[in-house]
Amino acid sequence: MMTGMVSQNAFVSRFGAVLFLLGKLIRFAFFLFFLLVITSRTQAIQGYTPWQVILFYITFNLIDSVAQFFLREVYRFRNYVVSGDFDYFLTKPIPVLLRLLFGGSDVLDIPIIALSVGFIFVALSNIGPITTPDILVYFLLLINGFVIAMSFHILVLAIGILTTEVDNTLWLFRDLTQMGRFPIDIYQNPLRSVITFIIPVGVMVTFPPSQ
Amino acid sequence: MKKYYLIARNTWDEVLTYRTSFIMWRVRSVIQVLTIYFLWSVVVPPGKTLLGYSQSLITTYILGTLLLESIVLSSRSYIVGNEINSGNLMNFLIRPINYFLYWFSKDIGDKAMNICFSIVELTLIFLILRPPLFLQTDPFYISFFILSVILAVFIYFFINFLLGLIGFWSPEIWAPRFIFITILGFFAGSLFPLDILPKTIYEIIRFLPFTYLLYFPIKIYLGQLSFFEILSGLSISAFWVFAIYFMMKAIWQKGLKSYTAYGK
Repeated sequence: MMTGMVSQNAFVSRFGAVLFLLGKLIRFAFFLFFLLVITSRTQAIQGYTPWQVILFYITFNLIDSVAQFFLREVYRFRNYVVSGDFDYFLTKPIPVLLRLLFGGSDVLDIPIIALSVGFIFVALSNIGPITTPDILVYFLLLINGFVIAMSFHILVLAIGILTTEVDNTLWLFRDLTQMGRFPIDIYQNPLRSVITFIIPVGVMVTFPPSQ
Repeated sequence: MKKYYLIARNTWDEVLTYRTSFIMWRVRSVIQVLTIYFLWSVVVPPGKTLLGYSQSLITTYILGTLLLESIVLSSRSYIVGNEINSGNLMNFLIRPINYFLYWFSKDIGDKAMNICFSIVELTLIFLILRPPLFLQTDPFYISFFILSVILAVFIYFFINFLLGLIGFWSPEIWAPRFIFITILGFFAGSLFPLDILPKTIYEIIRFLPFTYLLYFPIKIYLGQLSFFEILSGLSISAFWVFAIYFMMKAIWQKGLKSYTAYGK
């Protein structure tokens, strides 16, 4: 309910909302086009077929967009702490963690989420023979990815309380997750181990389509 | 000129004041470049070539963007729109200072800091990953490379400033910039060399200013362009410098006529 109510904020400036949405769609389309160009030139990346590479990218996009949609408020947390608004939240009869996680959803991510879901089904149908248990495991690992993303946002809030440092930590996390746009097999060790076991980008984004 | 030198030096100090932010920004830049570097390392394995790019050329291209982004794309003038919206612009209009040169000086200070860091980062990447690199030694290509980078710096500064001028008419200055950054990320060539695109698309985008920010200078450095191609590229680049400059001046004058600020 909280997410639905705050979604209206995105349309306070319709001009801005249209431009931001357009920007997100352009980014999505351009990167997809980039992958298509590379895979059409090389036929495969590290043994992955074009549709498999696309599935990796779309899975990253879905998890990233859902995290953005629900957890956008975390980006404003520093401002709340510095300005003192955080104290105001503490006095409200609502769990403050829920308020900080879900109190500022970005509704402009919905079209990207819808596009990603559509592309996932297209990619899955083009990849080849996939069994029902494979699909079930894929969706279970997607949920696992969302939970990891949420856990990281909670960690950022905790760091934010202690240091008021939020923005850089969040953007660093987003850049690391962007490594999951490609199969993590392309990265050399020890980087591959770091993004698998320490900052589980691989588990979060790359494992679902790998199944 | 001394005051502009001091502005550039102060920007250096400003950056050092918020060290954590700046270091994190640099860490992020390195992560972004490494992601693309690893991708291209598997796309073009040792001993293979893809559309004229050997592994040493493509890794030089990708790592070269890290240095070029520091020189061309690092900037402070993205704040111009905020200054107009908040009314701070008035503080500059009443001072004996050229507003364009003020922001250009700030950009230079910011670039200097970013260049220093990117050189250290590239050294570390080289020591750790030992990537195969192409070293250009021909003074012909090096001098044209430097000239193309200088033009790129001006193109980016003028476009950046131009986007800030939207603030004269709208408080919505970040949304157009978001689209600009998205398009820039693709058409400037930081993800891939633009000439791997289908020929028809490449023939269109080679007339856009974005092509001359990263892709064109690195192509000159790699020695992959003929004298005629370099000359033609520099002409298009120079055209954009002047075209965007005059557009910016005209819009600035128009914006000042409609500008009002209260309470400062």
